[in-house]
Amino acid sequence: MLEQNVPILAVRGLTKRFPVWKPWIIQLMSRQPRRMVHAVEDVSLKVERGTTYALVGESGCGKSTIARCIAGILAPTAGTITFMGADITMPSERRDARRRHLQMIFQDPYASLNPRWRIGRVIAEPIVTHRLVVGRGRLKARIDELLTLVGLSPQDARKYSHQFSGGQRQRISIARALASDPAFLICDEPTSALDVSVQAQILNLMRRLQMQFGLSYLLISHNLAVVAHMADHVGVMYLGRLVEWGAAQSVLERPLHPYTRMLLDAIPNIAIAGRYRQPLKGEVPSPISPPSGCAFHPRCPLANGRCAREQPRAIELGPVSVACHAVEEGRAAALSSSVV
Amino acid sequence: MAEALLSVRNLRVEIVTRRATLLAVDDVSFDIAEGEVLGVVGESGAGKSITGNAIIGLIDPPLRRAGGEIAYAGKRIDNLDAETMRTLRGRHIGAVFQDPLTSLNPLLTVGRQLVQTIITHLDLSGSEARKRAVQLLAEVGFPAPRERLDCYPHELSGGMRQRVVLALAFCCEPNLIIADEPTTALDVSVQAQVIKLFRRMCRERGTSVMLITHDMGVISEISDRVAVMYAGRVVEIGTARAVLNAPAHPYTRGLMASIPTVQRTKSELPQIAGNMPRLAAVPSGCAFHPRCPCRLPRCDRERPVLAPAGETQSVCWLTATRDDTASIEAARDA
Amino acid sequence: MSAQSVTKPEPAPRWWQDDLLHDFLRSPVALTAALLTVAIVAIAVGADVVAPYDSNDPASANLIDARLPPGSIGLIGNRYLLGTDPLGRDMLSAIIFGLRTSLMVGAASVLLAAAIGITLGLICGYFRGLLDTIVMRIADLQLSFPAILIALLIDGVTRTVVDRGTHDRLAIPVLIAAIAASYWVQYARTVRGLVLVERGKEYVLAARVTGVSPLRIIATHIQPNVMGPVFVVATINMSLAILTEATLSFLGVGVPPTKPSLGSLVRIGNEFLFSGDWWISIFPGAMLVVLCLAVNLLGDWLRDALNPKLSDG
Repeated sequence: MLEQNVPILAVRGLTKRFPVWKPWIIQLMSRQPRRMVHAVEDVSLKVERGTTYALVGESGCGKSTIARCIAGILAPTAGTITFMGADITMPSERRDARRRHLQMIFQDPYASLNPRWRIGRVIAEPIVTHRLVVGRGRLKARIDELLTLVGLSPQDARKYSHQFSGGQRQRISIARALASDPAFLICDEPTSALDVSVQAQILNLMRRLQMQFGLSYLLISHNLAVVAHMADHVGVMYLGRLVEWGAAQSVLERPLHPYTRMLLDAIPNIAIAGRYRQPLKGEVPSPISPPSGCAFHPRCPLANGRCAREQPRAIELGPVSVACHAVEEGRAAALSSSVV
Repeated sequence: MAEALLSVRNLRVEIVTRRATLLAVDDVSFDIAEGEVLGVVGESGAGKSITGNAIIGLIDPPLRRAGGEIAYAGKRIDNLDAETMRTLRGRHIGAVFQDPLTSLNPLLTVGRQLVQTIITHLDLSGSEARKRAVQLLAEVGFPAPRERLDCYPHELSGGMRQRVVLALAFCCEPNLIIADEPTTALDVSVQAQVIKLFRRMCRERGTSVMLITHDMGVISEISDRVAVMYAGRVVEIGTARAVLNAPAHPYTRGLMASIPTVQRTKSELPQIAGNMPRLAAVPSGCAFHPRCPCRLPRCDRERPVLAPAGETQSVCWLTATRDDTASIEAARDA
Repeated sequence: MSAQSVTKPEPAPRWWQDDLLHDFLRSPVALTAALLTVAIVAIAVGADVVAPYDSNDPASANLIDARLPPGSIGLIGNRYLLGTDPLGRDMLSAIIFGLRTSLMVGAASVLLAAAIGITLGLICGYFRGLLDTIVMRIADLQLSFPAILIALLIDGVTRTVVDRGTHDRLAIPVLIAAIAASYWVQYARTVRGLVLVERGKEYVLAARVTGVSPLRIIATHIQPNVMGPVFVVATINMSLAILTEATLSFLGVGVPPTKPSLGSLVRIGNEFLFSGDWWISIFPGAMLVVLCLAVNLLGDWLRDALNPKLSDG
């Protein structure tokens, strides 16, 4: 059993780079060094048991890549991943029994279930793979139990996935993830493809299951409001790096990094109709050739010469850590914020 | 009162499948005045995109318009032939769609697409059209518009592509734009930029907009009035402020309450039970009644009609019976 | 907090309500083509029963009745509906038996080609890497040769390696292998392309995260989802395979003379085409055309019918 104070998941210095593929003959002829996509650079995080850690950022920031490295779908370029005390960095260690305690829910409810399988079989697959239950009767009972747990009915086991709505399919995905009795769930944008009212149902379900089973979540999302509802800890990512991380309440209510502040400011406030958001300048640069120094400096109103040259180091300020020269130098207060 | 620029009355759109004929848009009516932005909001399957497509005349089998009238600038446009409709589109009615990747022809440069559209609908020479294209690109925020004319869509980022789509929509100075989820595929920070730009361009030209989206945030930013759709019907309509802050219809209220906000942290989100009904199984009477916490006995028998309710107009028996304020209170707290 | 659908759940549709079946029954082209194909296959399978004379029995060939025109009556009262060939065999029976041979070779080679192609496509598409590169380059190379040449090559090599008697016995299996070897590439490429798409889909990723072994994933998840287009390729390929066999037999390197196929019948009649005995070539040729047309039409319809389903995912 895991000791009490050891985090259930610990990621250290995780880095993932993808080579940009060209046909080899062109590569040969152009004589240029192979270009790399710097998807994730030196990311470290810890998830405590029974808590939710949310990774937040816009597209291309690397959060999905981190999720897939932890899940064992991708092999990291560098860094370590420790889960329940065991090193699971490399995907080949699939046979490690601990792996079954780490499951994943995906974003697209339409692509995450095999269209040709009845959903009873979909949910049964993890149970059968790990031989957790023996005997058809007991298997059926377990499937019924899981379906009821996520708010569906046992009769649904005979149906195919296309007979369900997006929200119901996410419930099925959750049931499948729970089938192997996991301790940890990676949730990659679980509600981004769902309507608002369905999203509320799914988020509530996830919270209820967390409390009931003591699950730990790694929540990947670009939606700060969803994160605010679910997360105990938040990590804000920009172009492959963590720029600010710590207790969710602190990061969301008193953001320090200019990017976090502008991200929060970019959320529309529905209660005030007609109010403009203050848009960020420019767009997220390409991860193939990230800007020098701090990746955010071309868009940052507080950028100075040092920001363009030097990668900022993380500094701890109470419950929150930030990687920003302006914060370090005490210049960050100059940024006005219309956040709460 | 000035005549509405676009007037939709009792629009019905059917989907013909081999098993049955389903009603995707059921008796939808609304007006858009000149210079006004109407937000049409609803969840997937509510029929809002089909409504937009029906108005521009982009309905293909198995969908077909089965009733109602659409009038633009006082004249009916639902019974026009394809050729007349085509000239109407682009020149008077523009469109912005969700996916900038498929909205732009990947084989043509940005400049060519703009110039082609301008020449088709306006009487300008090639060089004049090109000048106008450069002007438009500058207006939508390209720093070096002349060079950008020769760019292909895949060389641009998502936000830039959507700006090109905006330029295309506005290039013939239409009076009405149908925008279907224009920012859904964009990042949050880029969304804010594009919305601001869109709003500015509309204001400057006095263009009317029918903005179709499921994103309440976008609605709150640029809509003057809002129509809420559910299962192919309009259930509530009113000014943006009224619909978003003081909705009367139980569905709208449930919807607004279930939206998470950054301020309200770590508490159970109010939710609406169940799912939107499938088109083949729309409940009798009020389409929302099986999920409604304030259901009255007549709701499953009689279909409600649009009636004033508080600050908005709502299609609901509960809000229509004005002297029932006590039961409204009781139901709200239930 | 009930999350169940508040509308009554509909029962799962039964197979006879399936959309594909519905399309099929509504399309006159598909129905005609299918009926024709079924009729042809039935005749071929029941050749022993249907054909008026047993082509394989040398006793049924009366040399005296050689090269009689269609509709004639032979010396001992045999009725020859489509005439006779130079050996006195009844054309109708010969065509029916020839049909059986053609169909058998066609179907067997399609099955073999599909088996090879699908397996390679699945493995290459899922595992990628060196094996994928090698196999695909071989496939590319092979595509630059016409299928006939490859089949000729294989057949020619076999002839030189094996003696005459064994070759006659092995002729049909070798023929099947030769045709299969020329056509496996299409299956492999089609399947590989589809596998590349499927393996990135989230239900496959979910199975990987769950810990399912790669072979199981290929067999239970990926293979069922890529078979759709394979059926279309197979039906189109079927007529190609039949024609290839006919061509090879026409050239004299296909079926042995003891087991005539439609192609070899055409060959036999070729010499007599311009001396007035047209029925010996024309009838087998016409049968070939009808067969290929029926199979092609069926395949065409199948491709169109499966298309919206493919895009639905």
